[in-house]
Amino acid sequence: MTDIIIPIDLWAEDREAVVTAWLARDGAEVREGDLLAEIMVEKVQHEIRAPATGRLTILRQADDIVRKGDAIGRIG
Amino acid sequence: MTEQTGRNERRLTIARAMAEAVAQEMRIDPRVFLMGEDIATLGGVFGNTRGLVEEFGPERVRDTPISETAFIGAAVGAAADGMRPVVELMFVDFFGVCMDAIYNLMAKNIYFSGGGIKVPMVLMTSTGGGYSDAGQHSQCLYATFAHLPGMKVVAPSNAYDAKGLMTAALRDDSPVVYMFHKGLQGMGWLGTEPGATVDVPETSYTLPFGQAAVVREGRDVTIVGLAMGVHNALKAADDLARRGVSAEVIDLRTLVPLDRDTIRRSVAKTGRLIVVDEDYHSFGVSGEIIASVVEHDLRGLKAPPQRVAYPDVPIPFSRPMEQFCLPNPAKIVQAFDRMAQA
Repeated sequence: MTDIIIPIDLWAEDREAVVTAWLARDGAEVREGDLLAEIMVEKVQHEIRAPATGRLTILRQADDIVRKGDAIGRIG
Repeated sequence: MTEQTGRNERRLTIARAMAEAVAQEMRIDPRVFLMGEDIATLGGVFGNTRGLVEEFGPERVRDTPISETAFIGAAVGAAADGMRPVVELMFVDFFGVCMDAIYNLMAKNIYFSGGGIKVPMVLMTSTGGGYSDAGQHSQCLYATFAHLPGMKVVAPSNAYDAKGLMTAALRDDSPVVYMFHKGLQGMGWLGTEPGATVDVPETSYTLPFGQAAVVREGRDVTIVGLAMGVHNALKAADDLARRGVSAEVIDLRTLVPLDRDTIRRSVAKTGRLIVVDEDYHSFGVSGEIIASVVEHDLRGLKAPPQRVAYPDVPIPFSRPMEQFCLPNPAKIVQAFDRMAQA
């Protein structure tokens, strides 16, 4: 099990972000390095890539508010 | 709509699908280049040109000043001279300053030259509201462009169609107006519509113009829409299904050319027609679709056709007022109820 964590240095300020899109389906087999999701802070989009290879479980849905350090999904 | 890739699916937002189509074409065709405001370094305010200047450089991906007349006019000349330019009119609402270049030059030069010159260019432009950007940044204006002869007009509702229509537009020898709805781009601050982010093949492919898609089959009513209207129609169809009403949903995908046959075939089966359009109510797409059906054959209709469109008012800034005006699934269901009472 590997959590998909929003890196704490992805943006500088202490602002909330929003998940704008999941680019893989819940339950999909993903490979390490695959582009999985987009999150947005103040109109700037950031990419979240797979930290491991395995089956994706989505924990935070599109439109959910998230913070740096949050786990938005899990790969197992 | 999916293609077997042999591994996990690959979903794209419409923004990414547009950029991928352009990049793939630029790799094989050196005549394709881009001009527009904030399309290079920023990657487009709607994300649809991300990564292009990094791969192709500032010679082929050109940030312009706020000068739509100049760069769209320049594109018409470049297209006539053998290039295949792509220009972005950031918001369709800005057409007022550059309409001469668009409809007197871009749209007509093939005709004026007796077919002697081609104008293979793509004008991509953002449409739609829903995020409180008010009356100069929220219009659709589909009918304004579809009304004027000489331009093909496309408006995708999902990333698969967005990529195929863009590749087709880039390979077309006529000018194509590519209208993308901001709320479908996958950019959160413009609204989120998960239904627009779908599986997209990595290989290049085209979607033919003039072929509407039956995205949901049904028996009792035909709901016709484009872009955001398709997603509202699908949600209304879900609501109607819970009441035992079977709705067919048609995604027009292109306005010019318009696939009237698919609409007529569907209405001949269901006997009822609702048109969903975020553009203004009067003199527009919804009236054209209804006319295309009733001038063809009145006999199959079980009720007067209905339209769910934007009221004939400037788009309000106030969120409650704008949301009151926008088409939504509940208004589509109400339109069906009006027909059922007829």
